[in-house]
Amino acid sequence: MTQAEIKLCSLLLQEHFGEIVEKIGTYLIRTGTQPLRMIVNDTGLSLDQVKKALCVLIQHNLVTYQLQKRGFVEYEAQCKRVLRILRYPRYIYTAKTLYNDTGELIVEELLLNGKMTMSAVVRKVADRLTETMEDGKTMDYADVSSTFVRLADTHFVQRCPLVPEAAETPEVPPPPAPTLVINEKDMYAVPKLNLVGKGKRRRSCDEDENHEHKAKKHKKDGEDAEPPPDDGIYWQVNIDRFHQHFRDQGIVSAVANRMDQTSSEIVRTMLRMSEVTTSSSAPYTQPLSSNEIFRSLPAGYNIVKQVLDQYLTLLADDPLEFVGKSGDSGGGMYTVICTDLHKALASLATATLESIVEERFGSRCARIFRLLLRKKHLEQKQVEDFAMIPAKEAKDMLYKMLSENFVSLQEIPKTPDHAPSRTFYLYTVNILSSARMLLHRCYKSVANLIERRQYETKENKRLLEKSQRVEAILASMQATGAEDVQLQEIEEMITAPERQQLENLKRNVNKIDASENQVDETIFVLESFIESTLKKP
Amino acid sequence: MAEVKVKPEVPDPADIENRIIELCHQFPHGITDQVIQNDMPHMEAQQRAMAINRLLSMGQLDLLRSNAGLLYRIKESQNASKMKGSDNQEKLVYQIIEDAGNKGIWSRDIRYKSNLPLTEINKILKNLESKKLIKAVKSVAASKKKVYMLYNLQPDRSVTGGAWYSDQDFESEFVEVLNQQCFKFLQSKAEAARESKQNPMIQRNSSFASSHEVWKYICELGISKVELSMEDIETILNTLIYDGKVEMTIIAAKEGTVGSVDGQMKLYRAVSPLIQPTGLVRTPCGLCPVFDDCHEGGEISPSNCIYMTEWLEF
Repeated sequence: MTQAEIKLCSLLLQEHFGEIVEKIGTYLIRTGTQPLRMIVNDTGLSLDQVKKALCVLIQHNLVTYQLQKRGFVEYEAQCKRVLRILRYPRYIYTAKTLYNDTGELIVEELLLNGKMTMSAVVRKVADRLTETMEDGKTMDYADVSSTFVRLADTHFVQRCPLVPEAAETPEVPPPPAPTLVINEKDMYAVPKLNLVGKGKRRRSCDEDENHEHKAKKHKKDGEDAEPPPDDGIYWQVNIDRFHQHFRDQGIVSAVANRMDQTSSEIVRTMLRMSEVTTSSSAPYTQPLSSNEIFRSLPAGYNIVKQVLDQYLTLLADDPLEFVGKSGDSGGGMYTVICTDLHKALASLATATLESIVEERFGSRCARIFRLLLRKKHLEQKQVEDFAMIPAKEAKDMLYKMLSENFVSLQEIPKTPDHAPSRTFYLYTVNILSSARMLLHRCYKSVANLIERRQYETKENKRLLEKSQRVEAILASMQATGAEDVQLQEIEEMITAPERQQLENLKRNVNKIDASENQVDETIFVLESFIESTLKKP
Repeated sequence: MAEVKVKPEVPDPADIENRIIELCHQFPHGITDQVIQNDMPHMEAQQRAMAINRLLSMGQLDLLRSNAGLLYRIKESQNASKMKGSDNQEKLVYQIIEDAGNKGIWSRDIRYKSNLPLTEINKILKNLESKKLIKAVKSVAASKKKVYMLYNLQPDRSVTGGAWYSDQDFESEFVEVLNQQCFKFLQSKAEAARESKQNPMIQRNSSFASSHEVWKYICELGISKVELSMEDIETILNTLIYDGKVEMTIIAAKEGTVGSVDGQMKLYRAVSPLIQPTGLVRTPCGLCPVFDDCHEGGEISPSNCIYMTEWLEF
């Protein structure tokens, strides 16, 4: 865990969970696996607080525990998982595009609460949706349940590991920490629930609702008396699946940029078909025959089979090499196509690196960078010749990039004494190490952005509090039915320049938030690329 | 007993020289001292040396060094007449420059090869230049270096830099203009192909342009005063590839189709970049020059970052 990562984790924990949790989380990330006693001693907090904080962290899957051989339990923080908090908005947005508002709210609830039972999720989401709907309409539990089932079928949510049902003899004391297991088959199996009911609004001033409330209250009370039928079956968001989806999106948009819309649709269909069959770290998708692809194309694209075949051939021959042909079958009539995921990730990461070099140093430096990527090792003179850049400028640019560690030098001595005048110096680019360096820079940038946002908010705290008070007064006065004149008086308590300042503040905070998400996109591409290179056998 | 002094016959020096010249003609690759001695065993070493020296100074013999020793070779008569007026040193220097061919030779190298002092060399070089026998060409690699070569030779490409250099200056604007023109040509071709809306294979194939087509287009445009060859155009197209704007494929072409080299043809196509500018460079931190010095509580920190302040005011 680098300094930058630890800093970012502590900022995120503080923003979402508060000081105490942040302290314990940072301590665990920094020092690794620790038992409970050590945590209490080193952080100086009381045992009670530490326990509660650990509960919160475990509930949100940020800390795991393990039973050691000697009989005590050790806790370990998952630094990577904490960094995912940054990506929550993107998950929620994806769910919204795929499954509309219902899906969005389900994912949001699950992310906010860590783990929940299905019935609890359904009830909460229905309530929230009902609030936003027009008067008189309510959200049916069945709709929400069906969306939940769809989410589970496409593996976006998964079951949490459970306490195993072991038939233990009473003499053996239960272990201090249960080991949770989950059966592969059950991970996405939705329990058969009979959730009947509608969402209810919170407003107590609605007379009709009150009647409905009374009618339903009996049923609800009855339900609360006994535990809900799916007690003990908790669901959590399947982050890997979302990552797979982002990666597919990246590949599809790259194909759309490089070729045309239709090709990107074909690639999207192919990736969607292999969504549930391919694990997230596989280098290739399953091979698909062109017939299957033809059948699964979305309805809007009515292209003939030959045209589809031509597109597939074009995709396979493209220098991008995202799609590969793995064989003919059926006497050459069908082609079997698979997508090379590792190579796609590498291309995306390389394109990211190139764009960073271009923006930072200029388009000529980008030319030199791409030249070195292609030719691997080059001498100073060769760089000038190939890139057609005057010698002085080329030298300047190479040294600048060298100082920022985007390029490195490889020495090849002619004589055993390594005399500089008799040594070849070759420039080269190492993608993996550059990607790691930029990833580190991204983490620090996001930390900087969060800090700046907090600073801006703190600067204007007084103003914010004042505006909040004014709004509270306004709301209460409206509730009691005050006159317009009085309302206007209260509104004028905030002067025009103050209003302007508030506007500015809101705009700045939004801008910083948006840019945090953008940097997170870069983080995603670079992280996926580095992971894909690590997992190679 | 009377001593009979046998006076050795002094052969006629001219005879010796003629004899040596005949021997040289017999062995056009050159003869060693040994050969001459074998032929005229009665001659003393001193006379032999004198004869050879005279021939050398008259410019009729060439002195060469080989593994076996010294070699004497007959020199072409035409050259012999040219250098009548010059002396030995000049002839030596001229020879060294001639050997360097069209790459030319640096004055220091001449000094090493001839072992003459610097002042002598300079005088000789000036002499030869005024007689219009050699010329000095400035090298493009190191602008202070002057290489000398024979007057009527064309300097090699490596010295002058070829089409991209004019008078030792790299013509970067020229390269830029060519760059943009080629790219525009390829782009318009790709646009036309996309508009045609035929089936994708034809669309793609028509968006390709071979290097020959681009070369013809640039020649017809007439923006270049210098004659450009197809390799020059290919180097320009390569820079476009390194800019990420163009991609290239090589296809096998029939021998005899126009523009094919060794049965292959290079095709170029304009492409758009793979991704939009990435997220990191949209924030001030991605482009910040003092990124490494920035931390909370220091002189440069996120809270008082002037770049961020400017960026937020957009």
